Amino acid sequence: MTEEINKEELKQKILEHLAKKPWQVRDLAKVLRVKKKELDKIVQELIAEGKAAYWSSGSTTYVTTKEKLEEMEKKRSGT
Amino acid sequence: MVAQEVEKEPEETLQPKTDFGPPHYEIMLHPVVKKNYGKWAYHEAVRPGVIKRVAESGDVIYTVRFGTPRLLSIYTVREICEIADKYCDGYLRFTSRHNVEFILTDPDKIEPLIKEVQEKLGFPCGGTRDTTNAKYCLSNIIHTQGWVHCHTPATDASGIVKSVMDELYDYFTDYKLPAQCRISLACCANMCGAVHASDISIVGVHRKVPKIDDDAVRRTCEIPSTVAACPTGALKPDMKRKTVVLDKDKCMYCGNCYTMCPGMPIFDPDNDGVAILVAGKVSDARYPPQLSKVVVPWIGNNPPRWPEVVQTIKKILETWATHAEKYERIAEWVHRIGWERFFELTGLEFTEKLIDDYKRTPYIYASYRTSAAFRW
Amino acid sequence: MPVVDGVELPETPLLDELEKGPWPSFVKEIKKTAIEQEKAMKAGKKIKLPGAAKGLLKVLELAYKDKRTHWKHGGIVSVIGYGGGVIGRYCDLEDQIPEVWHFHTIRINMPAGWFYTTKALRTICDVWEKWGSGLTNFHGSTGDIILLGTRTEYLQPCANALAYADQLYGGVPFDIGGSGSDLRTPSACMGPALCEFACYDTLKACYEFTMRYQNELHRPMWPYKFKIKCSGCPNDCVAAKARSDFAIIGTWKDEIQIDQEAVREYAKVIDIEEHVVKKCPTKAISWDGKELKINNRECIRCMHCINVLPKALKPGKERGATILIGGKAPFVDGAIIGWVAVPFIPENELIEKCCEMLEAIWEWWDEEGKFRERVGELIWRKGMDEFLKVINQKADVRMVYAPRNNPFIFWRELNE
Repeated sequence: MTEEINKEELKQKILEHLAKKPWQVRDLAKVLRVKKKELDKIVQELIAEGKAAYWSSGSTTYVTTKEKLEEMEKKRSGT
Repeated sequence: MVAQEVEKEPEETLQPKTDFGPPHYEIMLHPVVKKNYGKWAYHEAVRPGVIKRVAESGDVIYTVRFGTPRLLSIYTVREICEIADKYCDGYLRFTSRHNVEFILTDPDKIEPLIKEVQEKLGFPCGGTRDTTNAKYCLSNIIHTQGWVHCHTPATDASGIVKSVMDELYDYFTDYKLPAQCRISLACCANMCGAVHASDISIVGVHRKVPKIDDDAVRRTCEIPSTVAACPTGALKPDMKRKTVVLDKDKCMYCGNCYTMCPGMPIFDPDNDGVAILVAGKVSDARYPPQLSKVVVPWIGNNPPRWPEVVQTIKKILETWATHAEKYERIAEWVHRIGWERFFELTGLEFTEKLIDDYKRTPYIYASYRTSAAFRW
Repeated sequence: MPVVDGVELPETPLLDELEKGPWPSFVKEIKKTAIEQEKAMKAGKKIKLPGAAKGLLKVLELAYKDKRTHWKHGGIVSVIGYGGGVIGRYCDLEDQIPEVWHFHTIRINMPAGWFYTTKALRTICDVWEKWGSGLTNFHGSTGDIILLGTRTEYLQPCANALAYADQLYGGVPFDIGGSGSDLRTPSACMGPALCEFACYDTLKACYEFTMRYQNELHRPMWPYKFKIKCSGCPNDCVAAKARSDFAIIGTWKDEIQIDQEAVREYAKVIDIEEHVVKKCPTKAISWDGKELKINNRECIRCMHCINVLPKALKPGKERGATILIGGKAPFVDGAIIGWVAVPFIPENELIEKCCEMLEAIWEWWDEEGKFRERVGELIWRKGMDEFLKVINQKADVRMVYAPRNNPFIFWRELNE
């Protein structure tokens, strides 16, 4: 039970970070002091829930929130 | 006002399907290919572009190769399909160098096929080799997107390739070379088409650092991720002015920052261009794989047909073809005659720009065996 | 404005120069698409993105005039469940050329060895006629089929169209390929399907890796990209040594198989001494006019003699592959041709051994690798000794051209 709560808290925390900028999961793992593999799983869940999204440079990939992604794409598609 | 509900296409309402992978290769194989899978006995060159492959069972297949421009219209692909249905029972393949190969069982159909492809598609038959007799066609040029689709190119790709191949057309359609020669083009040094081990490579190079448009950076960019994208640590955030600053001495013009931030374009019409590298190879045959070496540091972009680049490539190719022994690729030829002679014979200028001063590649790498050729 | 078949094309004087000459023209391909797609639409076909090819002509003409690109990068990967396979592009001339304001690319995982039926190719054409620009690349640098140019809102329907192609188009379903920090679409030479030199089944290996690692291919999680390429022999027709982090190069261990009668046949048309004996890099071959002798202890399996005499010579019977690690393009620490990580794996163990090794390498690299560090660069940073522990291999002289030339050995085990 406590584990579930902690996970929800962690998810919230992750989303707060992702809302600021696109992240490399490995960097975010260091900031949050979570194992990268654990974070990979949670980020996958957030993506499946539609809360987080990938942003790709073509050669490398980042994760951010859905809202941030839309904001970024809007900014860069504009003239 | 409520917008009128537009009727949805089935594709728009279906549940996404994931991770089912590519079609199995077996369903793509011509019945004769499938029957003799892993049981081929030998092959021989019939004529430029045509290879006869004989199976242990005695079955015979002819592959007929045509150069394509890589950028293909679906309407051309449909025409290719019509021809493959007519001549090849609906089976064909593409090669690793943007050629299309038709698979025939009846040798009498080879000439009609070549004629029909030439007439309908304009694709030349060639690009193969007769290794037994040391007679080689030039391979098709592999290349990247350039101005057709890339955001960090230092040059176009398709335009240079077209211009070079127009000039070297006969080398593709006929056995005019003493050995294999693979030309490759990457439209910037990021090399999404890795061309660093080609006999001749044409590489787009930027010569100026990105131009930082502070206003555009503020409007369009994520400063932390832009700074983090720089592989050499040349970018620093300027918190006060909400922009970035660049250490020009550290920048290697890769354009990664432009990928992250549209406010700092890397392109520069007057200073972008191409470098030419030679003497790379990947095959182990005779001489170990080699990285290509820069022999022309920069030629400016001169669209639509880049005549200076075309003439330089032609000069290198023909000088090599004239002087090389049988089977001697550019790397092996230079190894025999020396770089002094290479520059003398080609008339290219050797300058200080061709002396390596890039310090990041570790010295240890030189001792690693970049080849599968060794004794047991 | 030039009009062809009732279709108006933009003025493109610079691009028109590239319709001239004998080599097939990409400009003609773009124009043909513009004309045919519009005609198909007028004939009543459903086409979502009319005018895209025309738009590309306009952008490209301006690029040729301005000597610069007019594309900007986009990061969107709007295919549900996937983190790669789409390259976002926006045009910086939205006001002038709205047709290609969005012009995203989709990478489609090709069949191993690039073998196709016309039914499969037509599937791609039908889907892309409806949902995209009608422009393609056969193929991209990594080997994928490239669909050039569509809008954000059509990415998912296009992926669905391809996934359900059997039901919707009576065609062959295709899945999306890799991009970003993931396993890129593995590729293979034609191998045993057509080539007698193949020392292992490159198509099977490529397909196995692709299917087993769908998650790694579609959900980027690594420091950077990772490429696998399968070449059936040391000729390396897919340039695996230079273009892949993990190159599987077919080879053999025992003696080259010789058919002396066939050699004598060749001797009637070519000079065996000139074409074969003198070109052997280790001088392991002799020819007395009747019999070709190979000193297999000296042979390094470079393939030259087999290439010249394919009817007479064959790779040995003890077949398998050499694994080379680390090949990549120059950024950041310079171009690398991969180097030997495992000198030989027998054919019957090859796929399983490779999978074990790949998984161990990915685990290590994911843990230790820095952002944008390819596995070859990580090995340089950490040392071959650590890498060999990761892949559970003993050092072998075949991994180097020569031993080190300095005594500055880190005796870590004595200084813990």
